[in-house]
Amino acid sequence: MAKQTETADKPAENGRAAATDTPAAESKKAAEPQPVKEEMVHLIVFKLGAEYYAIKIEQVKEVTITPATTRMPRTPHFVKGVANIRGDIIAIIDLEDRFNIRPAPLPDGLNPDLTYTLVIEAKDYSIGVVVKEMPQSLNLPMSKIDKAPSFLQDVNISENFIEGLARTGDRLIIVLDMHKILTQDEVRELPG
Amino acid sequence: MKSREQEYKEIFIAEALEYFDALNRHISTLEKQPDDEQTLAEIFRLLHNMKANSKAIGYLQISDVSHKLETAFSLIRNKELAFSDEVVTVLFDGIDLLGELITNIDSNQEAEPDPVLLRNLDIIVENLSDSAIELAKVQKYNTSKNLSLSDLVYIQIKKLDHLMNLVGELMIDRDRILSISKDMGNEELKTVSSHLYRITEDLQYSVMDARLVNIGSLFNKFPRIVRDIAAAEKKEVDLALIGQNIQIDRNILQIMTDSLLHLVRNAVTHGLETPAEREKKGKPRIGQLTLSAKSDRENVLIELADDGKGMDFKLIKRTAVERHLVTADAAEALTETEVLSFLFEPGFSTAKEVTEFSGRGVGLDVVKNAIDSIGGRLMVKSEKGKGTTFTMQLPTSIAVKGALLFEVDEIFYAIPLIHTEQVIALDKDELHEVGDVMIADLKGEAITVVYLHELLNTDEAEMRLGDKNRLKGQVQNIVVVSYNNRKLGLIVDKLYRQQDIVVKPMSKPLDRIDLYGGVTLLGTGKVCLVLDVPATTRYFMNKRQAQEHA
Repeated sequence: MAKQTETADKPAENGRAAATDTPAAESKKAAEPQPVKEEMVHLIVFKLGAEYYAIKIEQVKEVTITPATTRMPRTPHFVKGVANIRGDIIAIIDLEDRFNIRPAPLPDGLNPDLTYTLVIEAKDYSIGVVVKEMPQSLNLPMSKIDKAPSFLQDVNISENFIEGLARTGDRLIIVLDMHKILTQDEVRELPG
Repeated sequence: MKSREQEYKEIFIAEALEYFDALNRHISTLEKQPDDEQTLAEIFRLLHNMKANSKAIGYLQISDVSHKLETAFSLIRNKELAFSDEVVTVLFDGIDLLGELITNIDSNQEAEPDPVLLRNLDIIVENLSDSAIELAKVQKYNTSKNLSLSDLVYIQIKKLDHLMNLVGELMIDRDRILSISKDMGNEELKTVSSHLYRITEDLQYSVMDARLVNIGSLFNKFPRIVRDIAAAEKKEVDLALIGQNIQIDRNILQIMTDSLLHLVRNAVTHGLETPAEREKKGKPRIGQLTLSAKSDRENVLIELADDGKGMDFKLIKRTAVERHLVTADAAEALTETEVLSFLFEPGFSTAKEVTEFSGRGVGLDVVKNAIDSIGGRLMVKSEKGKGTTFTMQLPTSIAVKGALLFEVDEIFYAIPLIHTEQVIALDKDELHEVGDVMIADLKGEAITVVYLHELLNTDEAEMRLGDKNRLKGQVQNIVVVSYNNRKLGLIVDKLYRQQDIVVKPMSKPLDRIDLYGGVTLLGTGKVCLVLDVPATTRYFMNKRQAQEHA
């Protein structure tokens, strides 16, 4: 099944993304005899606080407008509730709350009630990650991702969760490993 | 629906035909390798089962022929009868006769077994290795044998689980379609959706029915178990089984197996007295243990009663005080039911000695947890000197439950009916602030009442469970739930109807939050949270204690 979703394709108007190869074009090229082609990585980029973050597209099942979410009392503060996505009832979490990232003011003209949810597929379940602005799709050569960034002490997010740091033009993008976040994110039982 | 007897008959026939096929296979092997001990043992086992099963259900001819064949094979096994050509022919004929008799059960014609063949069987059995056997020629029955396949299929429970899940999903969508079609007012759509409703309902019951097994399949294991424990404990026990025909979901029975075993062990080791003690008390020497099952509307009740010494209320109180579960003063004022509920506290045990069968530090709390996990209830009654009775109230199906729907702070909730005692509307003035909680008087019974909105939504540091000022409006809707012999009134904002819901388990990472038993989707597509009554009660008790210490 195609992992790519509508929303993931859209931000092509953003010149940088358009300049990079789409995965379809890439695979066509790979079939032809060519000099060693650099390995590409496809990211879904979103904003938490004032910074850009990204998740590899393989970990993202779909991007959707956040559906009506039912609050669940007495769950950790970063759990926004549960929502019905195509018959699956999944937890919706807020990574800004999860990592104590200060929310940035919304750019003008954005509807604060309209948010987006990245549905992340883990081994045996799915989870929704809510973001305020529409996520973008980005193709990058693997080499642009710095695997061992040294600035990590200053970030709220444990280095285990960070896969690397991507640089494109003037943007710095923190690439997260959602699977690691989810496996370590043990939502505790109710506090006694 | 078919009668139970008809169902048993069909299962018997299907099984017997399977045995028949296996017998044919094995005897053909044996003809080629007469010394194959394993094959011989297998034939022996099959015949033995066939004899027992047919006797139990009343097909005496089959049982009789099986018996004769069994005897013949036991002679062969003991080398008292040679597996000679003549003998082989008779045995083949005998097995064919069995097949004939089995297939004839269904066609209702009372086929008499061929007397010649029966006599031949008798001859080989009785004449032993005498060489002077005269075997009469037997008319061959099945020259034109029909090949037939069994009417019974074995199915993995996993496949039935999957089917049940799909039915659950279907029911949720059906309710949604039904509610949409009502809104749209299209007559054709209404007709179709009400037809869909009936079909899904039929489907649901059929799948549920396919998962049912007789409770006897578990009960029948106990006579032997009780015998062993009683022998080790030097006690005399008579176990009575009642209601083995009651049917229950196979997975529920599976989950109950260990619990029931635990309770039975306890009853024999701790409940019943030794014969000498019993005689001294003027009781019959033999202790009576009764394991019974009965249907109670949507639930199944399993009861285990002993006529032993009963619970020692003083000892339970003392242990509870020692373990700081209650203060010595408060312990004095407790009712018997309240005292008994300590038995279900984690690790609570009054047993002083560890025996082979009981007292290994695994308490009744394990039993309680197992029953909680399937949404059942465990109750205990006991009278000193007279005995103890454990009652387990179990749902017949795991997935579909009757539930009460309500709303608190604009969120929909459901509570399984198995935990609800009653629903009542009381005026705010009928609630009394007593210490840190609210109390309502329901027909002379004082019941602790809690405002769910306060319990669920107020910041934990600000929580005031005994403050009437937190209530909204004058009339309060109260759902009285009961857990571990304690009642608790939950004040809700809006009460809705009672309805069957399909509980979906909480997906990760929320599955560890025990306040919720799962979620369900309403016809409107809205998510409804299913409150877990045991966890809610525990949470309330903890918060109440935290308030006291504050």
